[in-house]
Amino acid sequence: MKRKRIKKTFALLLATSMLVVLALSGCSGGKSVGDVAPSGEGDSGKSGSSGEKVTITHYTIDSEDRTFIEKLIPDFEAKHPNIKVKVEKAPYEQFDSKLQTLIAGGKSPDVTSHYGYGGFAEYYNKDMLLDLSDIIKEDGFKASDYSIPDDLMKIYTVKDHVYGIPVNMYVTLMLYNKDMFDAAKVPYPPSDYEDKSWTFDKMVEDAKKMTHVSDDIAKTQYGVDFTWSERDMRPLYFGVEPYSQDTWSNGGVPSETHFDSPDVIAAYNKLFNLILKDKVSPTTEWSKSVAGQNGDAFVTGKLGMTVSGSWSLAGSNDFPFKVGVAAVPAGGNDKVRSVLFVDPLLILKGSKHPKEAFEWIKYLVSDEVQEKSIDLSGGNPPVNTKAAETYYKHFDGIDPADVKKVYEGAVKYGFESYNHLITNYSQINDMFINEMQPIDTGHKTVEEVMPTIQKKVMEIIKR
Amino acid sequence: MSTIPAAGPTASPSVTKRRRKVDGVSIASFAALIVTTFLMLLPLFFMVSTSLKSKKELLRFPPTFLPDSWQWSNYKEIFETLNFGQMYMNSLIIGILTVVGTLLSSALAAYGFARYRGKGSNFWFMLMLSTMMLPYPAIMIPQFILFSKLNWLDTFLPLIVPAFFGSAYNIFLLRQFFSTLPDELFDAGRIDGCSEFRMWRQIALPLSGPALATVAIFAFIYSWNDLLTPVLYLSSSDKFTLPVGMSSFTSSRFRIPPWHLLMVASVLAMLPIVALFAVAQKRFVEGIVLTGIK
Amino acid sequence: MTHRESRRQTFYMYLFISPWILGFLVFALYPILSSLYYSFTDYDIIHPPKFVGLANYTEMFHNDLFWKSVVVTVRYTFISVPIQLLLALGFALLLNQKIPFRGFFRTAMYFPSMVSGVAMSLLWYWIFNPSIGLFNYVLSWFGIKGPAWLMSPDYALYALMIMSFWAAGSGMILFLAGLQGVPSSLVEAAKLDGAGRFRIFLNVTLPMISPVLLFQLIMGVIDSFQVFTQAYVMTQGGPNYSTWFYVYNLYTSAFKEYRAGYSSALAWVLLIVVMLFTALIMKFSNRYVHYEGGGRK
Repeated sequence: MKRKRIKKTFALLLATSMLVVLALSGCSGGKSVGDVAPSGEGDSGKSGSSGEKVTITHYTIDSEDRTFIEKLIPDFEAKHPNIKVKVEKAPYEQFDSKLQTLIAGGKSPDVTSHYGYGGFAEYYNKDMLLDLSDIIKEDGFKASDYSIPDDLMKIYTVKDHVYGIPVNMYVTLMLYNKDMFDAAKVPYPPSDYEDKSWTFDKMVEDAKKMTHVSDDIAKTQYGVDFTWSERDMRPLYFGVEPYSQDTWSNGGVPSETHFDSPDVIAAYNKLFNLILKDKVSPTTEWSKSVAGQNGDAFVTGKLGMTVSGSWSLAGSNDFPFKVGVAAVPAGGNDKVRSVLFVDPLLILKGSKHPKEAFEWIKYLVSDEVQEKSIDLSGGNPPVNTKAAETYYKHFDGIDPADVKKVYEGAVKYGFESYNHLITNYSQINDMFINEMQPIDTGHKTVEEVMPTIQKKVMEIIKR
Repeated sequence: MSTIPAAGPTASPSVTKRRRKVDGVSIASFAALIVTTFLMLLPLFFMVSTSLKSKKELLRFPPTFLPDSWQWSNYKEIFETLNFGQMYMNSLIIGILTVVGTLLSSALAAYGFARYRGKGSNFWFMLMLSTMMLPYPAIMIPQFILFSKLNWLDTFLPLIVPAFFGSAYNIFLLRQFFSTLPDELFDAGRIDGCSEFRMWRQIALPLSGPALATVAIFAFIYSWNDLLTPVLYLSSSDKFTLPVGMSSFTSSRFRIPPWHLLMVASVLAMLPIVALFAVAQKRFVEGIVLTGIK
Repeated sequence: MTHRESRRQTFYMYLFISPWILGFLVFALYPILSSLYYSFTDYDIIHPPKFVGLANYTEMFHNDLFWKSVVVTVRYTFISVPIQLLLALGFALLLNQKIPFRGFFRTAMYFPSMVSGVAMSLLWYWIFNPSIGLFNYVLSWFGIKGPAWLMSPDYALYALMIMSFWAAGSGMILFLAGLQGVPSSLVEAAKLDGAGRFRIFLNVTLPMISPVLLFQLIMGVIDSFQVFTQAYVMTQGGPNYSTWFYVYNLYTSAFKEYRAGYSSALAWVLLIVVMLFTALIMKFSNRYVHYEGGGRK
């Protein structure tokens, strides 16, 4: 009896779903969610420059260092009485899913940046971004008027079309624990990139003097944690380029990658040897154990040096030891030693008021606002070279001259982070983290892993 | 709450006199209970201890168990950092309305599934179960489009109204409980000329106290801790709920989260749930007076 | 059942479940059908969906991450669901007795389900910490050097299972609610017949709470096939894909890869598989689950 009933239920369910599929596939050529006409605000496509009030939405991460822009709105609205700015927020973990849902639902924000896992190249390749070239031409916007270096403008220009205006620039730098250097009687590393004595090998040498491994984890300390950018980018530090040159000219889609080449493998071995052979760097397991919920072992004072992004400066006041900043040592690539993370402001294709959105962007990158934002955000680095002077002085206990030198050297020896420039990057990064894990624990060698990675990178890029 | 081992008359007839002798099994199980309780209360310890630490102390390794100096001021700071009072109110409004809606509608639907063998009842029941089998990310976009068409964005409506039409989980749960009620009770009711609705209200509901209390607790906690839906549907900061506000502490990739404040918020956020549970769990002691009726 | 009686039953059933049917038609039907439709399309969220037939469905069978996620999820479900049920039932039985501080114990047991996820994550960071964590500390008493737990590809999944046991309090509450429905007269009668504690449990208590057991079993399967948050927050699917759960894979496809079509297909395959499991459980349970009423006998 029961059996029959369940069978019947399933038959019914199946039949219904079939019907639905048929019904839906029948109308699949029709209107879809994606192109449902923009509803709501009640004006059509044209940016309402006719004096009527328009609302633009700025989508960002819901954290203090991003939402400070809310404090700038009253001033902006006073200067632009026809524009109202609304800030739409999401936690970091939900940034991408909410953005995609908003776009799919026809509620696309106007202004945003690539604050989620995906970078610029992803947005560009998915055709999410508005080409700003016409607006820029009409407006007469010149980067130099806003003290934005031309090099940085180029990052978000693809084939002479501008897709983003840089707003913040983080660089890769070295933070070091002065207390540990003092205790080991090692002189501090230099902040000057032109100091040729500061090399990768010298760093290892210094690190050895500070490394002390003991059975008691509370007494263990390591000399250096060399987490230079994301894993796929690290060969670049030693002068090896894993992605083919055309990557940078055709919107982040490399025609070839070389992750299984002997040069790349040698580069990775050099880095893994810090952990496995020289033993001056901790394993991931140790780092994570010590970092705990804070996610960064350096802040506990158990690491002599760490290579990381300049965002780490913002919390340095609270570290339980004295902090210094230094140049990233020379590793064999005489052009690139620092990775730059330049965040742009982007206008999405779904924007109904691109001109007004551009006004807002111009306001945010203006000299005065860039300078004001440093304090409001608690230490976000401006791209504006004038405001940068204020930024260098922002960190108590760290010599502004050092910050300045490190920043200027980083720009000179800098390369924009791959995570902003290569398509499908979040998948590539996920894959690297997972596939490289066995090397870290000594279960596999670099030579064993790289062919798989090479194959998978190509698969992901072709997707 | 009766904490005295069974002696004398007890609150309800379902609780009967138990063994008075203490044997090995009881001691072993009591010991297991104490160890488990310790493990279960660890989160409380971590929450409170962390909530009283200073920012600097949080960076220490190995971590301290008790704060070096007790920073009670953290409990003031939360109100200065977040719009905490407003968020608390928003969460309460949404939570309470969700519980009311869920209880009413789920109890009705569950009764329908449990007491009647109508045509197609299996079909609807399986359909209802299947709504729980599609993961949220798969329906997130179309659901957003739906609520956007209803013009419900940036209101509490998407968070509350669906609860008034029953939640599959709670309907299923209550259906299981209503199914255990003896037919004789309802036959007797019918003979007395009770309407079907009155039997629901006067027989089924009063006899399902523990189950209804469970549904109330589950529905409240679910709504209270829900992050994904409010993140998606609420835009204005003054409408944010507690979990949304709290998530802002861990949202910067560039800063170390202020764990102390996050834990202050967690401790304060827990209070209504503990209160609700303390009230509701008494229903599990009173039990049902089934035996009295039979 | 007479014809008239059957019509009466049908009428009242629909009357009572009508709020849910209405809610289903208004709030659930459109999202569900949309996702079904997306599953037959190539949909990147930005551009309109393009119909591709069964391509998404055939693709997943050639995708090794899909198979990895299936293995991880099935292992998790088959190990953790039974243990969760046993723990919940065990504590419910214990705390249904008249023991000292019962209210306190019940509250404590349910406590982890009351606190926010972030507060729990603080605890996990410490408990599973390989060098200073509770577990490895206790293991060291016995001279065992504990594993790296969440950081080890061999143990991360078990760590997530153990985490799920902290939620056994919810299941306990449900069993407790069920146990209140066991008439004490039946227990007394069995005792008079000379039945032991175990026999009473097997022959009296268990049948009486079997509907709750069935509920928890089905919900346990539905929920654990959809485990996501823990993997997202604690391990990001790693290390080395060891916690690459089905829904984690689905989420990644949707919001990291911008493939709403493919991820919808994943969702529908999940639905069908879980539906089959549920039907199977229901079929077997018919023999064992004891419903007092509902005209089922």
